[in-house]
Amino acid sequence: MSEFAGLGANLGMSTGMIPITAPPETPKLPPREWVKANLFSSPFNSVLTVVASIIILAITRGLMSFIFNPQRQWDATATNLRLLMTQAYPEEQYLRIWIATAVVFTLTGLSLAVWRAGSAVPLSDVGRRLLTFGGTIALLVLLAPFSVRATIIWLVVAVAVAGGGEALRRLVDDERTMSTLGILLIGLSGLVGSLWVIPYGNHTFQLHRTPRVLAEPGTVALTTKLPWTVMLLVAVAAYFLGIFIRERLPTNAPRITLLLLWLLMPPTLLYLVLRDPSFDMGHVLGTDIPIFLVYAVLGGALLNWLARPSTGEIGRIVAALVLVAAFAAFLTPMRMIVRLDMLVLAAFALAAPTFSGGPRARKNYVIGWLGFLGIMSWLVTAINTPSTVKVPGQFFIGGLSLTLIVAVFTIVISFPLGLALALARTSNMPIFRLLATWFIEFVRGVPMITILIFFSIMVPLFLPPGMHLGEVAAVIIGYSLFSAAYLAENVRGGLQSVTRGQHEAAEAVGMTTSQKTVFIVLPQALRISIPPLVGHCIGVFKETSLLAIIGLFDVLFIARSVMPNQTEFMGSTKENVLFVSLIYWIFCYQMSKASQRLERRTGLGER
Amino acid sequence: MTDAAAAEPADDQGQTRDLSNARDMIVCEEVSKWYGDFRALDKISTTIKEQEVVVVLGPSGSGKSTWIRCINRLEIHQEGRIVVDDVELTNDLRNIEQVRSEVGMVFQQFNLFPHLKVIDNVSLAPIWVRKKPRAEAEEQAMAQLERVGIPEQAHKYPGQLSGGQQQRVAIARALAMEPKIMLFDEVTSALDPEMVKEVLDIMKTLALSGMTMMVVTHEMGFAKEVADRIIFMEEGQIVEQGTPTHFFENPTEDRTKLFLSQIL
Ligand SMILES: Nc1ncnc2c1ncn2[C@@H]1O[C@H](COP(=O)(O)OP(=O)(O)O)[C@@H](O)[C@H]1O
Ligand SMILES: [Mg+2]
Repeated sequence: MSEFAGLGANLGMSTGMIPITAPPETPKLPPREWVKANLFSSPFNSVLTVVASIIILAITRGLMSFIFNPQRQWDATATNLRLLMTQAYPEEQYLRIWIATAVVFTLTGLSLAVWRAGSAVPLSDVGRRLLTFGGTIALLVLLAPFSVRATIIWLVVAVAVAGGGEALRRLVDDERTMSTLGILLIGLSGLVGSLWVIPYGNHTFQLHRTPRVLAEPGTVALTTKLPWTVMLLVAVAAYFLGIFIRERLPTNAPRITLLLLWLLMPPTLLYLVLRDPSFDMGHVLGTDIPIFLVYAVLGGALLNWLARPSTGEIGRIVAALVLVAAFAAFLTPMRMIVRLDMLVLAAFALAAPTFSGGPRARKNYVIGWLGFLGIMSWLVTAINTPSTVKVPGQFFIGGLSLTLIVAVFTIVISFPLGLALALARTSNMPIFRLLATWFIEFVRGVPMITILIFFSIMVPLFLPPGMHLGEVAAVIIGYSLFSAAYLAENVRGGLQSVTRGQHEAAEAVGMTTSQKTVFIVLPQALRISIPPLVGHCIGVFKETSLLAIIGLFDVLFIARSVMPNQTEFMGSTKENVLFVSLIYWIFCYQMSKASQRLERRTGLGER
Repeated sequence: MTDAAAAEPADDQGQTRDLSNARDMIVCEEVSKWYGDFRALDKISTTIKEQEVVVVLGPSGSGKSTWIRCINRLEIHQEGRIVVDDVELTNDLRNIEQVRSEVGMVFQQFNLFPHLKVIDNVSLAPIWVRKKPRAEAEEQAMAQLERVGIPEQAHKYPGQLSGGQQQRVAIARALAMEPKIMLFDEVTSALDPEMVKEVLDIMKTLALSGMTMMVVTHEMGFAKEVADRIIFMEEGQIVEQGTPTHFFENPTEDRTKLFLSQIL
């Protein structure tokens, strides 16, 4: 990580001494003067402020009266939350989903601690935020069509929040600070705690039960509030475990382990949630493990030899031969895993001179190969084994889970693919350049829907029977290819912004093209491409809503078509769509914030 | 024609240094290069001996950069032969990588890697090109940073350093590869005047330590003091070459005289 911590692009080198200390902060104006200086500095500015305020108030009022109109069927959304999240995932298997969530929370807690996330904010700042928050609540309450009683209750809440904030601001001296993680924890505890005391109601919608709708007053069902409480505790425990690890181990080992775990997490969890293969142990012992062992031993020995600096030119020839053999393997009938292993071995063999070195470097390289081989063998074996999870219908997962699965996998897969395409398109080798350009231009010239439809028809033909993932896998593959083409163009912009001087400096110290690319060009190019890349990720996330067209039930489709078809909730589209928009917005806004933080952190080298 | 000039070079004490028996480090034979129709190098021929310090002078656009960049093949010459430390520069990738790892180059624009700390800038190539263990490479990088006088900047980013400091890091980065030859292309031209001296001093020390050096510069004082030989170029050709004494006190060519009258 530390290599990437400072991907600055100090392209226009300046020659003067650059001050390293931050400039003194401009003193904050008191609120009254700030308002005067910024909102009412001139007659024109004052008119603008007044007009804008009126428009904003009118819009807010409209929105509030829409949301809190007694005619709104928010019951439809509340009752169908399970449908929105996971569609038809069998209830008795929910434990899998909770375990998957717990894994994510554990990794998050550990990472927060190991990377020392969070910072200290002065308590007076917290107070100021609370004051603003309370004021906003009060304003919204006054604009909303509440009954007198509700208005009074909410106003009391707003005044309490604002008063607390003001007290913090005035009474606590400026030196006192609080960790942002602490604030986060208080907020989350409040939310989870509220599940136990506030009567949100106990809502479910079940097709195969009468009455199908359950909407009882009272607190949230135990099957929801208990798991969420456990999740919060798990995250907190993981955080303290992370601190324990951080204090006792050197920095790098836990970080690398965590990064690997994050990379392994999506396929593992997908597996946990969607599959429960019944392994044919005879086949595993008799075929899969021997193939793995042969590749592990022979491939390991070959790579160890190739990564020896003394091997020299003959190594490149051998690596090229392995590649030819791998391609040839696709022309002759044999097991897919044998071909795939061969292809990966060829990739490792070709890269061997770049990573060659002493015994330690070679050992690491061979371990990398063994790890990769092991994971790949496991995945292929597992995917080729029928699942014992009994599920109704064809697509038993949908809703937000499906949206997230498709988005995460598409982003994760299309990233390396897009990088490779961008590098190929800018490389000196005409063949690569031509292929990449054709691919990109073809994909960009075709609507995404056609690609999705094509893959949803074709891919299931290649998958073994008993796999429930056919459509989802197809969509992920097609969508990844589509996304990679666009991603490649974003990265290409970054690649072109790396100056010729940087290339020459890397070449002048004798780096090979691949070393130059990995250590010098890509880090700088990616730093420049962060904003368009994150924009692209946000686009990928939102456009999963097109999955409905090929018959998958993404969260928006459920909201706009499935729920309004339930006889109990006819015509509830408006409410559902508003709710789903909120879900989309929360995710996209977080990505956007993450991008800004990443930019700030990687901008380190620019100072 | 070249060996005659190299036979009686003078070092900074004004004593002559006899390098005629030294090994040939760089041999150029009738090297020519075109950019489109424009002839940037016109039959350059000369031999640079081990430990020799050659300063290349000439008006802007005369092909100095082009020539010096041909020597580690950042530019490709189209005719003639260039042999560096007994390896001829051809399209063979192995030769190019070998030559580049033995020839250090310092650029006018520093070209430090902005995303890497100073220490990583210096140790990256030893680790990945020379295949040294990281600890050893970092130790040697620190030694090089001490040699150029800025060990205390090791854990900053290039953007946090002054121009002179950046250029010294660039020199340390080249030296960390333990090169046999160092190329300098107008390394002080982008520096503020008060920083020129700190960089020139390092180059002087380097010259005294016996490094083979090829230096493109406009610093006449440096040329007079440090050069074993001065090569004057114009329009892609070598117009005149000789010891600093010969070159500055009684140049033979009219074009040299004109150049000197403009610059001094
Ligand atoms: N990449 C290039 N394409 C076309 N012409 C070039 C290129 N690089 C240099 N030249 C031309 O070659 C000539 C020599 O350039 P250069 O070697 O940079 O001169 P110097 O370093 O002596 O100032 C100049 O006329 C310049 O315009
Ligand atoms: Mg030049």
